[in-house]
Amino acid sequence: MDLKVEPLKCTGCRICEFACNFHYDESISPIGSSLMFYREEKKNYYGLMLKREKTLLLGRPEGERILKPGEQIEGASASSKPILLRVACDRCAEEEEGPLCVRACPFGVLSME
Amino acid sequence: METINNYTGNILIADLASGECETEELSQELVEKALGGAAINMELYEQYKDRDPLILGTGFFTATFFPCSCLAVLTGKSPVTGAIGHVPLTWQVGVELKLSGFDFVVLLGAADKPVRLWLHDGLSDINESQDVWGKDVWESVDKIREAYGDDMIQTLLIGKAGENKVPLAQVSENYWGSKDSFGFGAVFGAKNLKAIAMRGLGALEVAEGFFQKCIELKNEILNGAIKGKSGLKDFIAPLGIDTSIKAKIESATHRLNACYNCPYPCYTFFKYREAPSVMAQTGVADPGCLTSGLAGLTRFYMLGIDAPRAMEKCFKVGLQPAAAAQILEKKGIKDLAAAEAALDALASDPVKPEGSTWPIAVNLPPAASIFSSAIPPKPVFSPVSDFGAQDAGQFWVRRQALAYTIGMCPICAVLTPEVSTEKIVELVRMSAEWDDFSVDKLNSILDNLIAKSSG
Repeated sequence: MDLKVEPLKCTGCRICEFACNFHYDESISPIGSSLMFYREEKKNYYGLMLKREKTLLLGRPEGERILKPGEQIEGASASSKPILLRVACDRCAEEEEGPLCVRACPFGVLSME
Repeated sequence: METINNYTGNILIADLASGECETEELSQELVEKALGGAAINMELYEQYKDRDPLILGTGFFTATFFPCSCLAVLTGKSPVTGAIGHVPLTWQVGVELKLSGFDFVVLLGAADKPVRLWLHDGLSDINESQDVWGKDVWESVDKIREAYGDDMIQTLLIGKAGENKVPLAQVSENYWGSKDSFGFGAVFGAKNLKAIAMRGLGALEVAEGFFQKCIELKNEILNGAIKGKSGLKDFIAPLGIDTSIKAKIESATHRLNACYNCPYPCYTFFKYREAPSVMAQTGVADPGCLTSGLAGLTRFYMLGIDAPRAMEKCFKVGLQPAAAAQILEKKGIKDLAAAEAALDALASDPVKPEGSTWPIAVNLPPAASIFSSAIPPKPVFSPVSDFGAQDAGQFWVRRQALAYTIGMCPICAVLTPEVSTEKIVELVRMSAEWDDFSVDKLNSILDNLIAKSSG
């Protein structure tokens, strides 16, 4: 089971980032999350990135894409780069009701599959 | 009670005349007295009323897991009404402000040359802003983000209309205008304040059980009055607006956007420089515009012109779209080129907005004038009785006062009867370990806000 992203369901509310951070340190903040929202605002182009153990899951409007270390992140802005320094998603393994990001998202963007 | 789950604990006092910033502690007493948002803004406004204040503040729940908790509020004396006005700031502004380390910002006096305020990591700087003075809103946002090196920075800024201090000027949230119907763009201009830039990478604590309670409320909202609805298009029929406009909106819509932690995406992106169906990244730099300003959009459509492009022009020069569209209607303008030229001229024109900007009958009491007229003037998907109220006008005023104080989006506040006063009180008590907080206490805070603002 791993997290799946359906990017076109996303509305950019960002609560997944904050829920993920809450899982790790019980505070509300975007800084310690395995998930990162990115946006090119004037183009209305936005999506999510998820730091995994060995890869990066890029949820772009064009669809999901998995990147390996060293691959260039297309369409990601300067503010997105710190994702590489983040902790890898542990799928909230100890949470009985499932990952907090899945529970927090109002639009079903994230799911376990 | 405890405030660390709701506030970072800092009030910034920014003296634009001297260029000095000081930080004061947000006291527990002030939160106990006024809770947050517009209500604390009013307390700070009165404290500094002899020093030309403009107050920017966050609500009690802003940037928390409470659903729809995006809100910041700008409070000051309006050049349009001559009285106190509270502007709701949505999108990501409230989150970035609070997590930048400042719950409230008191802007005093005027700078002697163009400046901008930069808030981040608990730090504040008043920087020269000659580089963007005279530039339109879109170019200014780009340059400010480039200057500070992060395109997630949120900005409040003005365009030509604000620099010219005209009453139709509004403070813009990034590229997309705002719900400022009070002419605070002119107040920024008079202060020589081009912009406030914010980046929030700080943190708030979270009370035990609060996350789960908020998820339950979010799910209740999703299964309530908004179920099956989205975007501005679904406001059209319930508000009694010309239903032909719904198809015009649908045909030009790219993707919907939601503000921070919002279960109802009302922000609608219109694409007109490429097909709305294009989702992939392309080389088109400025494919369209984003708005939640239904009154302005509708009024431009009613002129028979390309409404999203007219909105873009308003956003770039920093004009209130709905009020500007009303003026264009009186001038008999019916084509886009003439509209764009007229909007350019309005950015230098001292004409004031007139009355309600909605193209529908609006029946609100005088106290409503302290809140933004850009918010739908009645509940959208539910009768007022679903909110436990009887008088629609009185309900609207109190619901807005509530939203502006707790930090809830005021549009969502009129969409979601599931968010009852009792549930709000329960979550305040849980979040702040505030055992004696009650419905009566909340009502008293809202009464004071309305009375002081209307005074």
